[in-house]
Amino acid sequence: MTADAERAPAQAGAGGWFEQRTRGRALAAALLHVRIPAEARTLYFGGSALFLFGIQVATGTLLALYYKPTPAAAYDSVLYVMSDVSFGWLIRSIHHWAANLMILFVVLHLLRVFFQAAYKYPRELTWVFGIGLFGVTMVFGFTGYLLPWDQRAYWATVVGTEIAGFVPLVGDQMLVLLRGGIDVTEATLSRFFGLHVLVLPLALAVLLAVHLTLVHQLGLANPKRPDPRGREPEGRTTPFFPNYILDELIVWYILLALLVVLASLFPAGLDDKANALETPVGTKPEWYFLAVYEFLKLVPRIVGILVPIVGLGLLTVLPFLDRNPEVLVRRRKIAAGVATVVLAAAVALTARGFLP
Amino acid sequence: MAPGRGEVRRVRLLGAAAIPAGVLLLVLVSGARAEDPTLAQVTFASPSPSPSLIPGPPPPTPLPHPPAGGTNQCFECHRALNHRQETIATAWQESIHGTGGVTCADCHGGDPNSDRMGIAMDRTKGFIGKPSREQTVGICGSCHADAQRMRKYNLPTDQYSQYWTSVHGQRLAAVADTQVAICIDCHGSHDIKKASDPTAAVYPPNVPKLCASCHADAAKMDPYGIPTDQYEIYSKSVHGVALLENADPRAPSCASCHGSHDAKPPSATEVVEVCGKCHTATQALFMESRHAELSTAAPKCWTCHGTHDVAQPSQKLFFHEVQPDYQCITCHDLADRSLRIELDRFKAEADRRCDTCHHPDSDIYAQVEAIAGSLSGAQGTFDSAEARIHEAAGVGMIVEDADVALSEAKTNLIQSQAAVHTTKLTLISQSAAEAKTKAESAEAIARARLDESLFRRAAMVVVVALIVLIVVALVLVRRRVERRPGDDGQGPEKTGAS
Repeated sequence: MTADAERAPAQAGAGGWFEQRTRGRALAAALLHVRIPAEARTLYFGGSALFLFGIQVATGTLLALYYKPTPAAAYDSVLYVMSDVSFGWLIRSIHHWAANLMILFVVLHLLRVFFQAAYKYPRELTWVFGIGLFGVTMVFGFTGYLLPWDQRAYWATVVGTEIAGFVPLVGDQMLVLLRGGIDVTEATLSRFFGLHVLVLPLALAVLLAVHLTLVHQLGLANPKRPDPRGREPEGRTTPFFPNYILDELIVWYILLALLVVLASLFPAGLDDKANALETPVGTKPEWYFLAVYEFLKLVPRIVGILVPIVGLGLLTVLPFLDRNPEVLVRRRKIAAGVATVVLAAAVALTARGFLP
Repeated sequence: MAPGRGEVRRVRLLGAAAIPAGVLLLVLVSGARAEDPTLAQVTFASPSPSPSLIPGPPPPTPLPHPPAGGTNQCFECHRALNHRQETIATAWQESIHGTGGVTCADCHGGDPNSDRMGIAMDRTKGFIGKPSREQTVGICGSCHADAQRMRKYNLPTDQYSQYWTSVHGQRLAAVADTQVAICIDCHGSHDIKKASDPTAAVYPPNVPKLCASCHADAAKMDPYGIPTDQYEIYSKSVHGVALLENADPRAPSCASCHGSHDAKPPSATEVVEVCGKCHTATQALFMESRHAELSTAAPKCWTCHGTHDVAQPSQKLFFHEVQPDYQCITCHDLADRSLRIELDRFKAEADRRCDTCHHPDSDIYAQVEAIAGSLSGAQGTFDSAEARIHEAAGVGMIVEDADVALSEAKTNLIQSQAAVHTTKLTLISQSAAEAKTKAESAEAIARARLDESLFRRAAMVVVVALIVLIVVALVLVRRRVERRPGDDGQGPEKTGAS
């Protein structure tokens, strides 16, 4: 990128001034002017998740300007944002909906990569870091859910942390670690806030950087044929920029419109202030934990805890377990069958969780 | 509970008969049996004997209680005897008596230290065996009326004396009616549990069913001529629903109004005090009213609210839907025109209305109209505000401040409704006006939220329209790019980083 041949000719004006001092054109060329398989179908799930993460960073930063992470003040500060801060309702509602959509698109992205077998050679590490991003996104949702400190948030956290307490051998320690004590208290709120605005963004940024670097280095997978070992893949290609970027941009705008509609028609709600002495009827975790929650109710506790943990572990090392080189679903009947059953079970359990 | 028409008549009848001929009555009933229906109708007529049919509680059954800490050989032998005896022994062992050191011999007599039947169950030395129903109350009383014995358990000792004041105890003592409830019918015999044990029959939420086990049984109640539908009626009342369906421990069970050990219907003069045990503030307001000044001739709680069928009070309590057929005897004694209450007129729920007594031509009727109008106006404004707030919350608006204003309006509204018990128009109107003002304020906040919601939706349409325009422009650019030579997908046969 620093070779003379890649240097842009000297330009006049501000553009030239910056180019001479940054040599950014070469960097942009290296990042953008790549070609992707014409048969690649990303369905824009990963890009959408990335866009939503950007929305979360922007709206989360604005919310943090007003939010006070103590049980005495948290609820009122959120109420203040919703009632008195100019467009505070819009910022918080977009943050709320973008969080839900981000989890949805991360899951859809994971499913797309699985069914297109894009986790196979040479993208095993991309998959592993992607699973890491999935985990961090889920913890993002879990920690953020408590912050309004209303009844729904408080009791969903009580239930959620109790599930962690069921983990064999280390459950009690995990429970205390998560809550900062035996019960959900101001210690819990403090550490959830710290995790949500400091630790998790940093972790997600690092994992995302590695994930995107690997995507850039290895290119997009062709869902029709596996990558050949030891040589460059063949087939028709299309420019990443501007063709794919324009498609992605259109999707992002549509997502932005969706967020505006959701935030305007269904603004983020606020229940009564958290009360540790009054358990509301029908306390449940958020929708993305409902499947695990319902599974726990149906099977012995040890099974209900170990199955999701082992399942996540197996998912992480999937590229190293699945030795089948084929990428087409019809030639991966066992993997596709197992995944379809697991997915159907998760959807059914989540739907069951929504029943009164 | 307030007495029904028949009960009041019976009280009067008994009062007239029992006071001058009390001693004679005692003699008459002393040998009677409940199984005799004729006698039941005559001598058992009053469910609430006043004055008492007995001079006082009989002495507890003398029973030589074995010293604490001794062996309980009865348990060892009986549990090995057969399945039935084993069940009884186990029930005792797990009961509050079994865990509290009360042994078999404490109730059955005998020598618990001996494993020889002839000694352990020697009737000449105090062995009772299975006590009769007449004996049982006295046996329980031999400990439960003994302050010295009960001290270590921190239990009251007045249940025994209370029982003999109850309808159950009076009948047992006066006419040896063994069909009445005795201690073991409610508490169990060998399997006695603490009243605070949720599985105990005497645990407050279980009490209505316990009482109904006899009082809803037509065969058992037939000799006494008392109704058997109280449980059915109570279970649908505001009290019954709160206790049986909502499991609200504050809600009254049968015992809350009738008493437990001293169970009997409250007399007409007791009703206000009985209801006032819980409805303290309402009782105080009632005592300020003209109704309270009129004493027995005036309406009591049950006149408007009923007894077992107490419902949520509402505006309908003021007037009949169709003007009633007024009769002088409803409120006046025809002999001297003095005020009285014709209790029959309030038996039907539809007749528990102010205009049952107050005639449309009277000044008081006009005052009732003013009270009803004042409350109705406040209630209408409150309902309207509540609907607006609900509407605003339904479109996702934060309405906490409106809720606070509505809560304040609710407080004033409840105060004005409660103030009806004073019958004072000024006081009621003042509270109702405050409720109306606060409800209007809450509604104004809710309307502002609804307006804001409309603005948000209009702004949303504009923003989405702008985004659609941008998307259309991007789609056009994208098509143009696709048509550009060299960018039609026919690039080099290579993927990945360029």
